[in-house]
Amino acid sequence: MKRVAVIVPFALGEADLARRRAQTGEVSLSADIEYDFVPVKAGPSSFQSHHDWLLLDVAVLEAGIRAGESGVDAVVVDTASDSGVEALRSVLDVPVVGPGRASMLFALTLGKRFGVLAQWEPALARVDKSLTEWGLRGHCAGVEHFDTEPDFEKLIGDKGGEVIPKMEAACRRLIKSGADVICLGSTTMHEAHGVLVERLPVPIVNPGPLSYKLVELFLAMGISQSRRAYPEPLVPKPEMIHAMLESVAEGDSH
Amino acid sequence: MSSDVFNVLVLVPFPMSADQLAKREEQRDEANLPKNIQLHYQTTKAAPSNYVSAMDYVIADIGLLEAGLDAEEDGFDAVCIDTVSDSGAAALRSILDIPVIAPGRTMFLTAMMLGQRFGVLSMWERWFGLYERTLRELGIEDRCAGIRSIDTQPDSRNLFTGKEEEVMPRLHETAVRLIEDDGADVICLGSTTMHQAHEYLQERLPVPVLNPGPLSYLTAETTLALGLTQSRKAYPRPLVSKTKMISEMLAAAAISEQTEDRS
Repeated sequence: MKRVAVIVPFALGEADLARRRAQTGEVSLSADIEYDFVPVKAGPSSFQSHHDWLLLDVAVLEAGIRAGESGVDAVVVDTASDSGVEALRSVLDVPVVGPGRASMLFALTLGKRFGVLAQWEPALARVDKSLTEWGLRGHCAGVEHFDTEPDFEKLIGDKGGEVIPKMEAACRRLIKSGADVICLGSTTMHEAHGVLVERLPVPIVNPGPLSYKLVELFLAMGISQSRRAYPEPLVPKPEMIHAMLESVAEGDSH
Repeated sequence: MSSDVFNVLVLVPFPMSADQLAKREEQRDEANLPKNIQLHYQTTKAAPSNYVSAMDYVIADIGLLEAGLDAEEDGFDAVCIDTVSDSGAAALRSILDIPVIAPGRTMFLTAMMLGQRFGVLSMWERWFGLYERTLRELGIEDRCAGIRSIDTQPDSRNLFTGKEEEVMPRLHETAVRLIEDDGADVICLGSTTMHQAHEYLQERLPVPVLNPGPLSYLTAETTLALGLTQSRKAYPRPLVSKTKMISEMLAAAAISEQTEDRS
């Protein structure tokens, strides 16, 4: 049995963690792999500024190092921002998969130009940063949001009746802009994936489940990220990273 | 969620003997494929003698299109093309709703998930045009650190058999140049026919080495498990699908090849 850690980018309790874990039920997965959902110890409250992104990079790095120390066979980060992925790849030899870049590249195996569905206006800056960093701007037909404040704990929950028509309208705008595949811009949108697939004429990539399948693929092929692309630090400082996060672990007042 | 069995048709781009086909089929054991994937190999009726010119590309495209025409009707769940040239994939995508996996495109994009710049390791300089075509089409030329070959005319039917000792060290040496001199951080094998060298190279190189055939099978499984397929918007249907015409053309091509004995 292989073990994969899924790093959840919020310090969630068990009930909210279950909503994240539900993503593993949306795709047929290998019976030989166990997915262990590991929340970060602390993190930002929003996800719309460089301050937030940096905090999440550190928090995911810490949780991923912890997972690596416990001997997991791979790590997935449960955010399409791929926060912490590059830093984790520099210190872990096991595959580290970020759903964001992977979903855009996978979209290009299915079509020519993808569109990204973002949550709301403040989320656009992060998508914009990702497109630049990953060099995929030229392959992106557009980014549209559905103007709904995210609920990182309850996800879409019982608000589907109100939210899904807005998501669908935003997807249709993407298609009109020339998108022939749509990438959900957040793993928290997974609850809407099934309905959107029924209503829209293009493939819709669900980043969380895709990331689990890619982990299986990399493990089956015995490959991992390139050490040349992600060189190791001269002096890794895992104790420092752990100390920083332990000092602010949720439950403390900050 | 329970695992369904997926039947995948693997289209081999040359007519060949059963022994030769068995060498292609060895790829199925190189990927730790999940048990729910069943691979079925089928050759084309006719083919170019090799893939070195625009004329060859067109013949390969039509041969593979014909070979996959009935895949959906015959009950297959996906099609994999057994050539990094991705020949026939775009045309098949325009008429099939089941996923058609193009190993070249898939391999380059997967390489970009694992590193920053990949190198293509090839047998023969005359194959470079095939890679350049896909890289251009995908708009990722700048992600390719380099393309190098061992300058050896490949044998698409017998592969490396009997020549391993001569070929493998040269492939290794050339891959090292891609990494050291060109800056490649992932190596892509330039042909599914190079699969016999994959293990040798992966054991000796410090970067991931992608084996395009097995990767395409696993990608088929991933695509099916996610309920995805190619975008109809990217690959629109023809107004009139001329499947009968295509079948007749290839039947004629096969007879012509027998007559000329130049397959």
